[in-house]
Amino acid sequence: MNHLPLRSLAGIAQVRRPTQRALAKQRTREKILAAAKALFTEKGYEGATIRDIAASAGMSTGAVFASFTDKSDLFNEIIGADRESLFEAMRAEAVGASAEEALNSMFDAGYRFTLADLPLLQATMSVSWSPDLGAQVRGRLNRRPITELVGEILTASIERGELSRHTNVAIVSQMLWDCYLANFRHAAFEGWGLNELRARLAEQIRVILAGVRAG
Amino acid sequence: MGVREAQKLATRRRVLDAASDLFNEIGFEDATVRAIANRAGVSVGSVFTTFTSKADILNQVMQDRLEALYEETGRIIPLMRGSTADRCRSLFAMLYAFEMRRVKLFLAHIAVAYRWDVGPIGRPFGSNQVFRDLMTTWLRDGVVRGDIRIDVDCQAVIDLLLGVYAWNYRLAAAENADSDRLTALMDQQIGMIFDGLKPRP
Repeated sequence: MNHLPLRSLAGIAQVRRPTQRALAKQRTREKILAAAKALFTEKGYEGATIRDIAASAGMSTGAVFASFTDKSDLFNEIIGADRESLFEAMRAEAVGASAEEALNSMFDAGYRFTLADLPLLQATMSVSWSPDLGAQVRGRLNRRPITELVGEILTASIERGELSRHTNVAIVSQMLWDCYLANFRHAAFEGWGLNELRARLAEQIRVILAGVRAG
Repeated sequence: MGVREAQKLATRRRVLDAASDLFNEIGFEDATVRAIANRAGVSVGSVFTTFTSKADILNQVMQDRLEALYEETGRIIPLMRGSTADRCRSLFAMLYAFEMRRVKLFLAHIAVAYRWDVGPIGRPFGSNQVFRDLMTTWLRDGVVRGDIRIDVDCQAVIDLLLGVYAWNYRLAAAENADSDRLTALMDQQIGMIFDGLKPRP
């Protein structure tokens, strides 16, 4: 935001405070999003209807449609915001003396974040693989591609001479992200917690990095 | 078998065939039980005499496909020679070739496997014990031959292989990639994984 042309800064100075009407609209939106997130988490994407969401937010379905075009719009808004928070949580922890340390620390933050709301992840996975809504959801999630965070860690490590110069960063980043995601199956169906997920991924990170180590 | 029993089985077969086609054409959500019944030429009521839900139908469709897959791979697997990496390459190439024939059905299966709201799903993706056991044997063979380090964590490596395998399907969903492209990518990924499994000098 620090590279706005002066003209638009002048514009901002003149902006009036939001009207009561705009504030009310914003509050309504937030109420709907909170209710919808709770219902998607409880019942899944298909199970939650706009009517349920409206009732739970204490308003009419008409009021919901005034803020969102349809259920998929609402869902995309929620998982988009969720991905934004996940991205920030992971980026904050993407630090360590080696690639291995930084990756473990970053993915650990991801597991902690997502385990707190596992059903939402399951709903997201399910919808993102579905033929009709999948493309939209994947597009939304890809605005914040975590593979880029992984890629930054790998690139820094290559520059330090830790990993081979011939490392295909794109493929390796994707593989790390894939197995991070695939491990959630154990959490969803076998009751794994943070420690088991962390240990399994740590081993997989070891194998993947061993394959691209320099020298 | 009585006439009644035979009729019931024939209905079941027709429903499964129709459902398999419809899931593959329009996905799990849009393929309603009514549409499946129409396509099969039976009543909605008779669908529910042998299935409890649409998820139950999908489970059975996937179970039948799994048996077909075992039949296809079962003839070839015992003949496989070569390194553990090469055997894995052959196995995953067969899996892609098989699943890509009905890719939307497979994607629908992955999508539904993550849902907890449609009733019990037979087998969440990645938990197939037959293929897991097979790869465990191959990894242990590799250790014995000295290609793979002795402290290999087989379950972690198999999860890694299956995770990468499954998520490669995103290229089929997003970019219409065919089975050759997925196989070529997987070959490369398997190479990297097995490089990381070599015994340490």
